Amino acid sequence: MKRLLIVGGIVIAVLAVAVYRAKLGAETTEAKIGELTAEARKVSDDIAVMKAEEAYLSRPERIGPIARQRLGLQPARPEQYTAAEALSRRLGEERLMLPDSEPAARKPAKPASKPVVKPAQEPAGEAPTQ
Amino acid sequence: MTLHGRPFEDRWGPRRARIIAGVLAVLFTVVVGRSAYVAINGPAEAAESVSAVSARRADIVDRKGDLLATSLSAWSLAADPRAIWDAKETATALKAVLPDIDIRDLTIRLSDRERHFVWIQRGLSPRQKQAVFELGLEGLRFEEEMRRVYPRGKLAGHFLGFTNVDGRGVEGAELAFDQRLARGGEPVKLTIDAGVQFGLEDELEKAYADFDMKGGAGVVLDAKTGAVRAIASWPAIDPNRPGDRTEEAKPNRSIGSLYELGSIFKPLTIAAAMEAGALRVNDTFDVSAPLRIGAATVRDPHPLEHPQAVTVSDILAFSSNIGAVEISQRIGAEKQKDFLASVGLLSRLSYDGPQSAAPLTPSEWDALTSATISYGHGLAVSPLAFAMTYAPFANGGEYVPPVFLEPVNPAKIERRRVMSASTARAVMAMMRDTVLRGTGQSANAPGYEVAGKTGTAEKPGPDGYDPDRNITSFAAVFPASRPQFVVLVVLDEAQPRTGDARTAAYTAASIAGRVIARAAPLLDVQPVLNAPAPVSSAAVTAQPVALRTVSEAIAQ
Repeated sequence: MKRLLIVGGIVIAVLAVAVYRAKLGAETTEAKIGELTAEARKVSDDIAVMKAEEAYLSRPERIGPIARQRLGLQPARPEQYTAAEALSRRLGEERLMLPDSEPAARKPAKPASKPVVKPAQEPAGEAPTQ
Repeated sequence: MTLHGRPFEDRWGPRRARIIAGVLAVLFTVVVGRSAYVAINGPAEAAESVSAVSARRADIVDRKGDLLATSLSAWSLAADPRAIWDAKETATALKAVLPDIDIRDLTIRLSDRERHFVWIQRGLSPRQKQAVFELGLEGLRFEEEMRRVYPRGKLAGHFLGFTNVDGRGVEGAELAFDQRLARGGEPVKLTIDAGVQFGLEDELEKAYADFDMKGGAGVVLDAKTGAVRAIASWPAIDPNRPGDRTEEAKPNRSIGSLYELGSIFKPLTIAAAMEAGALRVNDTFDVSAPLRIGAATVRDPHPLEHPQAVTVSDILAFSSNIGAVEISQRIGAEKQKDFLASVGLLSRLSYDGPQSAAPLTPSEWDALTSATISYGHGLAVSPLAFAMTYAPFANGGEYVPPVFLEPVNPAKIERRRVMSASTARAVMAMMRDTVLRGTGQSANAPGYEVAGKTGTAEKPGPDGYDPDRNITSFAAVFPASRPQFVVLVVLDEAQPRTGDARTAAYTAASIAGRVIARAAPLLDVQPVLNAPAPVSSAAVTAQPVALRTVSEAIAQ
């Protein structure tokens, strides 16, 4: 009987502690969910505002004059369109040739693997050549 | 242990044990039950919070995902009348920062002590909210609400429509798709292309600079799918401020207004006759004398050259009313009526979107009615409904209903054949001819092979048709060699400021050409660089050219 009492008491105490901890945990989680929900809503609101601002700022009646005045852009005219295979005829062969290699002197210098020993002896402002 | 010499017998022991066991069982049941309750019902509050966030009305975007309408958080001002000491003083103070409020009305509402809640103004700007806050008045409170915003201002204003203060759609797409939008979630993607829409609206706005006009409408649609790429009404409205609309700007002329559209009906008349087997492309007509039908006389306002023998293509290119009537007389009223019904002009269009007005049809379809309808008088339709009738010319003879929502599923498009492919090709070639040498020359956007027809209709008045007030229109298909898009421009009482004639050749045709030149690159239409240049009417000796063009089309 005494053993039953002791075991029963321990079970109740453990359960009580477990329930109390679960309740505390649930409250903490609930508070966190509330915070995250509020944060998600704020982020969602901010995104909505930014999307609306982007749409407002990219209105054609605003972008058009800026593109014309600052970039010199104009709507494409039909005669500016051409088929890809006709590009060489239109622009000239040489303008379509991509350079396969550049003169060695124009290549950028490789970074030195070791620190230059005597930097003071090299002419100031002159790039090292290979 | 003994008691009175007898060993101690705990008679209550088993009973106590049962009681304790019972209590433990009850406690255990309560704990387990409560745990189960928390497990099942615990997250309910969090779910409500999440659902509050997801209840935002869905955005509306164009076919490329560009934002057209969204919902933003805004503040509204409310009051508890029981907490307000002096209603008039409060109303007067608020008037200083909220000029739209009516002091007398607000004073009455704030004086009603029976009420606990009164709205003062919805949708405050941040500046207004701060100004009200700084007044330091008692009994006021701010309520956070969602407010519908249209960041591109007037763009597609009529089509988008707007919502009321409670966020429910009351006009346009906001009303037509209200249930879907109210559910929130993914944006509603329209078939509208914001770039093409802007081009169309901008050209209608510029038209007002060229012509003194009462209103205008325009439609650009993909004839293959029925997807409407742009639909506009002028004067435009800003759905952010629906209360500022003038009476002239209120109607959506592209969907909700009805017009007798004039000679842009003639391609339909020709197609109907060809389908009925009553007309061949090489037939010739004598249009030299006015036609008398009952008490009415049909004339050509601009007589054709060699009117004793004009071709079908000439009738279209130079817009002969007499020729159109003669063609319609070959098929009779019933077949004409059946054809117009097949292209959706005699009943309200059925589609998913802002609803088009039902057409105004004649009560009696007699010989005179049939004659006038052959050149676009006597039957009033919405511009959208009419634009759809040109889709079969670009679509191998198949009619498609308008579509406003992406994605467009080609398998679900309800196509119906209304003419043969050869008829569609022949009429297309004639309309191209109209732009190259006829009344539609100012619509010829170089490179885009415009085929189309002008329409100039006198507006009906109390004393019959008024020759001084016209509806001018231009309906086009482009590019003619691989037709895909339909454009319709309608101008209400357009009067060129330069003193030119009030006909569509000088008004709507040029606007349509400019719309096509702007829209085509945005719709990925490659220009045809070796297309023939427009020919001036003075230099035309070109009936053989026209015949050859049409014959070639038939032969394809």
